[in-house]
Amino acid sequence: MNQPPSPDEGPGSDDAPLGGVHLKYLHHCPRQLWLYTHGYRPEQRSDLVAFGEVIDETTFTRRRDIDLGEAKIDWVTAGAVIHETKSSRAPAPAHAAQVRHYCLLLERRGVAVRGGVVHYPLIRRTVDVPWNDEARDQARQDEALARSVIAAPTTPPRLPRRECRGCSYLDYCWGD
Amino acid sequence: MPAVGRTYWLTEPCRIRREDDSLRIERPDNTPVRIPITDVRDLIAFDHVDINTSALSILSRNGVSLHVLDHYGNHAGHFAPTDAMSSGPVLRRQVELTADPDLRATIGRALILAAGENLRWSLDTDHLDPALATLRAKLPSCDERDAIMAQEGNYRRTGWAVLDTQLPPWLRLNGRTRRPPTNAGNAFISYLNTLVYARVLTAIRSTPLHPAIGFLHADTDRRRNTLALDLAEPFKPLFAERLLKRAASQKHLKPSDFETEVGRASLSKNGRKKVAVLMREELDTTVYHRTLKRKVSYEELIHLEALKIVRLCLEDKPYKPFRPWW
Ligand code: SF4
Repeated sequence: MNQPPSPDEGPGSDDAPLGGVHLKYLHHCPRQLWLYTHGYRPEQRSDLVAFGEVIDETTFTRRRDIDLGEAKIDWVTAGAVIHETKSSRAPAPAHAAQVRHYCLLLERRGVAVRGGVVHYPLIRRTVDVPWNDEARDQARQDEALARSVIAAPTTPPRLPRRECRGCSYLDYCWGD
Repeated sequence: MPAVGRTYWLTEPCRIRREDDSLRIERPDNTPVRIPITDVRDLIAFDHVDINTSALSILSRNGVSLHVLDHYGNHAGHFAPTDAMSSGPVLRRQVELTADPDLRATIGRALILAAGENLRWSLDTDHLDPALATLRAKLPSCDERDAIMAQEGNYRRTGWAVLDTQLPPWLRLNGRTRRPPTNAGNAFISYLNTLVYARVLTAIRSTPLHPAIGFLHADTDRRRNTLALDLAEPFKPLFAERLLKRAASQKHLKPSDFETEVGRASLSKNGRKKVAVLMREELDTTVYHRTLKRKVSYEELIHLEALKIVRLCLEDKPYKPFRPWW
């Protein structure tokens, strides 16, 4: 919280790193990903997002491994396990996609990746995310899709209004 | 921007210090108040404030602005946090758009017409209809900023004369005067207009927009935040003229709320408090927003207005200035 957003990375450029947040937005709404990468980031106003961050900060305070963007990583004998914490009460495909993206990034750095886990402290559940050929393909496809959304010259359309509930871009998209 | 936070209105002289992650506000007659910095959105100083650098740096780190009003309610300046929200693509586009003479004129005319209609709405009288019709007729042929502003000047003068008919003699404007305001009515309008400007400035700063790059007001003659002046236009009547009219009809203001000398007037200490309370209540007033499908406060309306300009910059979505729909 209260950290200035990172300086603009030049949307669409190929060397701009794609982080977990880009993947999360891609799955939620391509328009959100586009707006985020083109310079509008309302997150800091949103209580919901702040709550998520607090959970991230306090849940795994004892595991200070390395940081890859937002993900926490455990090193076990068989490789690396990526842990991602969500304040959500419902597991969603986007959460696993985010973890697969971290796996891909880590693997590109030459790390043997074993897989990932999504943690849902509010419902005391975890979901395993396997890492295999299929998962790697999916991660690559997601990455390519995210890049094409970001590189598009115009904004992707809005989602149907009911699917915007809870989105921190709602005031921007619907406030006319 | 803090995730949550509100505006603190400092109507009395005070001293601001930092204490851990809080602001410690010391008032002359009172025990100090501590406010967690995350609870502060911005501060508005109506009176003398003594502040040190460690308090300023905690303000900056948390994205909090401090607005300073002078004795007559002019915006004397503000302390602004380092540009945390800025974004290259939005700013580039903002510069391009504001440099386009056609777009400048289009947006300038739209702002002035909205301000005119909103004044008519605020005064709630048909005495302004002929002037509004003239404004509507004349604006389309105004291509330059000065011509647009001249039309707005004519209309406003009529508007203030009409407002005077709804005010007790001691509160009448008798022509608009600033720097300094010459009478109580003008002092009231000056303060309220400044508060609107400060709200708009704070709203703009929560977006990637630069407040100094605007469409209508000239950015050469005064070192002012012209985009904030632009976006304040449609909101000024909603707050200033409307609250003056209301305070007069409810007999809420007294001559003792002003310090009047020959040729100059300002709010008294008690008057400043009243104005802060009036404005705060008004900003908290909510209306139902049809596309957001929830209630929004007047304060949020100002924020939504700034977002419309972001949409203009990012998506070329035409800007339609705010008009009350209720
Ligand atoms: S408000 Fe709706 S359309 Fe806009 S970014 Fe969010 S989900 Fe997408």
